[in-house]
Amino acid sequence: MYEEPGCFDPNNFTAEGAGSGFPQAVQKQFEENMDLSVDELSYHHHNHQEDAAVSAMESELQKHLAFKVENCDNNTHMLQQVVDDPNQLLSYDHANWNTGDIGFNQGDPEQNGHRSFNINSLPQTPDLLNLFHLPSSSLLPNSSISFANSNHDTTSLGFIKDLPASHSTSVLYDPLFHLNLPPQSPLFSELFQSIPQGYSLPTSRGGASSLFGDERDSSGVTAYQDGDGGMLEFTRDMACIVRRSETGKKKKPFTTERQRREQWNDKFEALRNMVPSPTKSDRASIVGDAIEYIKELLRTVNEIKLLAERKRCVRERSKRHKTEDDAGEDVKNCNIWPLGDPEQSYIGSLRSSWLQRKSKDTEVDVRIIDDEVTIKLFQRKKIDCLLFVSKVLEELKLDLHHVAGGHIGDYYSFLFNTKICEGSSLYAGAIANKVIEVMDREYAAVPPTSSY
Amino acid sequence: MEETISPEMEFLGSASDALCIAQARRRQVYDDNSMYKSKNLHAERRRRQKLGDRLLALRSLVPIITNMNKATIVEDAITYIQMLQRNVKVLSDQLLEMDSLSVQEDEEPTRDEINASEQMKKYGIKEDVKVTGIDGNKLWIRVVFEKKRGGITKFLEASTSLGFELTDTNVTTSKGAILVSSCFKGIYGNALGVEQTKKLLQEIIRNM
Repeated sequence: MYEEPGCFDPNNFTAEGAGSGFPQAVQKQFEENMDLSVDELSYHHHNHQEDAAVSAMESELQKHLAFKVENCDNNTHMLQQVVDDPNQLLSYDHANWNTGDIGFNQGDPEQNGHRSFNINSLPQTPDLLNLFHLPSSSLLPNSSISFANSNHDTTSLGFIKDLPASHSTSVLYDPLFHLNLPPQSPLFSELFQSIPQGYSLPTSRGGASSLFGDERDSSGVTAYQDGDGGMLEFTRDMACIVRRSETGKKKKPFTTERQRREQWNDKFEALRNMVPSPTKSDRASIVGDAIEYIKELLRTVNEIKLLAERKRCVRERSKRHKTEDDAGEDVKNCNIWPLGDPEQSYIGSLRSSWLQRKSKDTEVDVRIIDDEVTIKLFQRKKIDCLLFVSKVLEELKLDLHHVAGGHIGDYYSFLFNTKICEGSSLYAGAIANKVIEVMDREYAAVPPTSSY
Repeated sequence: MEETISPEMEFLGSASDALCIAQARRRQVYDDNSMYKSKNLHAERRRRQKLGDRLLALRSLVPIITNMNKATIVEDAITYIQMLQRNVKVLSDQLLEMDSLSVQEDEEPTRDEINASEQMKKYGIKEDVKVTGIDGNKLWIRVVFEKKRGGITKFLEASTSLGFELTDTNVTTSKGAILVSSCFKGIYGNALGVEQTKKLLQEIIRNM
């Protein structure tokens, strides 16, 4: 549709006249804005303002723009809608173009007489414009668009002025760019592609910032405050502009910042629900619990595989030596089965496993080394847990060797040392689950009013 | 948790730091308590760092990863955990199947039981009951009896059925004998004298 890849030339534009040229220009401008803005996602440094590296930055910007514009084709269809309703692009009055001063200054309504969009009436939308790092400028004589930011200082203004008109795309420039930051193109393009095109840049920005930060937001408007005047707060407005153009069209499958947050939180909730004994419900703890649980599952899988191998070995041996009497020794022999057999790599290894389980009133810690099982029990005082646990252990065919423990405050705390009978296919998880199950059952069976 | 952070992460980390600085500065406009603000900033930063580190650790555990952003790390972890849980279920079912197929003879326990009384004789361990009164109506008991299958359970059961509970307990098994040394208390506040308790316990182990 337009041949010029990255340049918006306001001078040509004004020569063309109103109407058709304008939407294209705006579209282009939007495109570039977004490109720049997304770039700025990666460079969140507001604090430096230096004029020194202007030219270097400029060339870098050119590079970026060329790169981004290629990626921006997906943007065009969204922008197209913007274009299609030029009337809704309210304040872009052609006359203002000519004067070269379109102020999106919140504090300055009279500067732009055609603020036909009412900020308050429009619904909150993802803030497209927070990406528009609109440097403050008074009148730039040769550039058609200047976005005013009341708090901006003049250095960037001076910077912008330095750019020739043909590079007026860089008007929409953020002071950040003069930082000679390496182009994080892969990161950017990944960000860019992971978000729905066009509309989603504000959310992607929110996403990037929340990637390692938390969501600071009120309904999706994340505005940098202007310590150095980097950002505008009225990003809402531009977003509203764009939004307006979309009403009446089919809803596109984009995700607002809120939706992303909700999906994000849902995932954490799902993760939390999978873990057997969740502790705190803040995100770091959830992830920590998940890590521990994955490790535990891996241990359990290894343990069960080992048991299965041993059983298989015993069975094969007993099949082969049906007439022999010392079948009971086969398991031991399996432990020193020739190492050359690759299929039975589990046999010679030492079985070890541990896991923990918590329920409302009970904590169980089960450790297994070889054939010894150590069970630690921590139980709120109410029932005679010694008796119940020893019953459970008998049921599980665990030979109780040592018990130690007693009352500690409101709790019972006991340590059980047991031995697994040979040939038993018990694994740590089964023991823990059984113990917890029994304790909870018995605990629940005792009426709460009874006390000793 | 290893210290190395990928350059992208670090970059974004510092990016979010800058965000925070910007925000903190904004707060300064409204609040003069700058000390509080800077402490908060550090806490925030540390909190985010903690979450980031843990997410990296989580990702390092999960073998199948699709993308490298926070959302997919959690997603992939969920998928992986589900897979592992399924594996555990399948494997443990297999194990149970194998158990039911092969019938094991319980030769071992009787052998042990025979050994127990022999061992006790060998080491000169005798069955014994000692009872001492402590602390009001609490008693301290010391019982030695022969190790049998489920012996401890039987002892506990008997005591409970007679209205006593063992509170601070120590049970040891050695050389075919079981030693129980414990506080002995009446559950319902009942109390027996020392001699009576001793007789009771002797009765119990005799019947085991």
